[in-house]
Amino acid sequence: MRDLPAVDSALLAAALERFLAEELRASGLAGYVVGLSGGVDSAVSAALAVAAVGRERVTALALPGPTSSPASERDARSVAEALGVPLEVVDLAAAGEAIAATLAARDDRVRFGNVMARLRMIALFDRARAVGALVLGTSNKSEILLGYSTLFGDAAASVQPLGDVWKTHVFALARTLGVPEAVVNKPPTADLWPGQTDAAELGFDYQTVDPVLYGHHEGGMGRAELVDAGFPPALVDAALAAYRRNRFKWRPTVVARVSASCINVDRILPRNPER
Amino acid sequence: MGEGAPQQGVLVVALAQIATCPGQLRTNLDKHLAMADQARARGADLVVFPELSVSGYLLAHGVLEHALCLDDPLLEPLRRASREVALLVGLPLREPEGGISNAAVLLEGGEVRGVHRKLYLPTYGMFDEGRYFVPGPRLAPIECRFGRFGVLICEDAWHLSSAALLARAGADALFIVAGGPTELDGDHEPAGSRRWHWIVGATAVTTVRPVFFANRCGWEEGVLFGGRSWAVDGRGHSLAAAAPILDEALVTAPMSRAAAVRTRTLIPIPATERLDLWRAAMESADA
Repeated sequence: MRDLPAVDSALLAAALERFLAEELRASGLAGYVVGLSGGVDSAVSAALAVAAVGRERVTALALPGPTSSPASERDARSVAEALGVPLEVVDLAAAGEAIAATLAARDDRVRFGNVMARLRMIALFDRARAVGALVLGTSNKSEILLGYSTLFGDAAASVQPLGDVWKTHVFALARTLGVPEAVVNKPPTADLWPGQTDAAELGFDYQTVDPVLYGHHEGGMGRAELVDAGFPPALVDAALAAYRRNRFKWRPTVVARVSASCINVDRILPRNPER
Repeated sequence: MGEGAPQQGVLVVALAQIATCPGQLRTNLDKHLAMADQARARGADLVVFPELSVSGYLLAHGVLEHALCLDDPLLEPLRRASREVALLVGLPLREPEGGISNAAVLLEGGEVRGVHRKLYLPTYGMFDEGRYFVPGPRLAPIECRFGRFGVLICEDAWHLSSAALLARAGADALFIVAGGPTELDGDHEPAGSRRWHWIVGATAVTTVRPVFFANRCGWEEGVLFGGRSWAVDGRGHSLAAAAPILDEALVTAPMSRAAAVRTRTLIPIPATERLDLWRAAMESADA
């Protein structure tokens, strides 16, 4: 079996902090807005932002819905306290119920989960607009590769500091950054319905699947090589199936090119304003 | 160093490891001027900036807008500063006959003393330079009052023949300017920075010339650059401690001209290069 490469989490954290500082400087905006879910990804993202630009420039929101676990808000609060940032609770339960009723989506837990993830996106971008901030993304490389996210929901953000960081390494970063142990140790969950966990939905946990994804995505190993290397065939098949099925989420849309100046095809330009 | 005898004694080279922002030219220029001031205060004769230091590296099609001519008014503050301390700066150079070069421009005494245009434009992996730039047509040392210097821009130095040719052409020292990205692979010295350290060291000891390496640091468009600007003499002794990986820094490295000449006289590796093998290789490639 192949292992993930090691991580120097202190160097990684220092580098990502400079990334967040530079993106904010280059954008000309005032700070970051982050949704704290009570999980490790948003805790690490927020900790990096606080270290990068100062806690006074980080706005933390808890965005509970009607089915959110009370433990999530409790953990979000412990993260905010550890970082020294106020946590504002914006209760999206009524809004979620209303839009789900209008769309007749309430009885389908995946549809309703997507509605809630996208409502959180609306809340974060609305606040970002109001205070002149960037929305701090919290997606990690493992979930992006597996497509375990809601398009235009939790996957939507101005910047993604963890988007190239394996989930296994997010845990290492969390320990380096002093994220509360209870948050680091709890099973990852999108908390879109009671009792939901990433591992139950995906069929494996991240520490198990990360070496498979690494071997395939970075090392170019196909199914046969991965199985030869000792990974269980069922794990390899499930990981590769998600990897292939959800690849459309890596590039959330595609523009039909009908000119010689198609944006991002014929004209690729720096993202930040020129000065 | 003595005003009257710039070719003698000690040459102090400063390596300005800066983080630039693509398209934010005024911000980048301010950093050049601040570094030049600091270098002058530390007694530097010449300041070496990284690749595309004026424009930023990941400009992509932004080069169409931001490419500069050598007489562009935007460069006037640099020309003025070069009366006090010579500057080697990187910029996208608009060629009179069309096309844009990835260039390093040596300014000294308020004037352009020479230009090196990048020869090898990486167009693979995360690199796409062949799409935006035209390759340089020639390789020759640049001369100024401080000496005769070979300039290599990033990928140029990965083709070891470039440094060998510059040594054969009589360069006193080599300046490698880079926008070298790095991945963080878990090593304390990350992979990109580590590879550059080897290349710079190998270039110095095989050409038996001092090598001054100015790399950029910081982030552009989500890409991390590996810093670790460094200077080393022709026998592999550091002329200055390497700069940090992540942060901007000014490294000053003194080089004794007499010691450099003595070293390359004692160890004449480039002079004994078997050019007959190169000729045979070229003939077999032509065949």
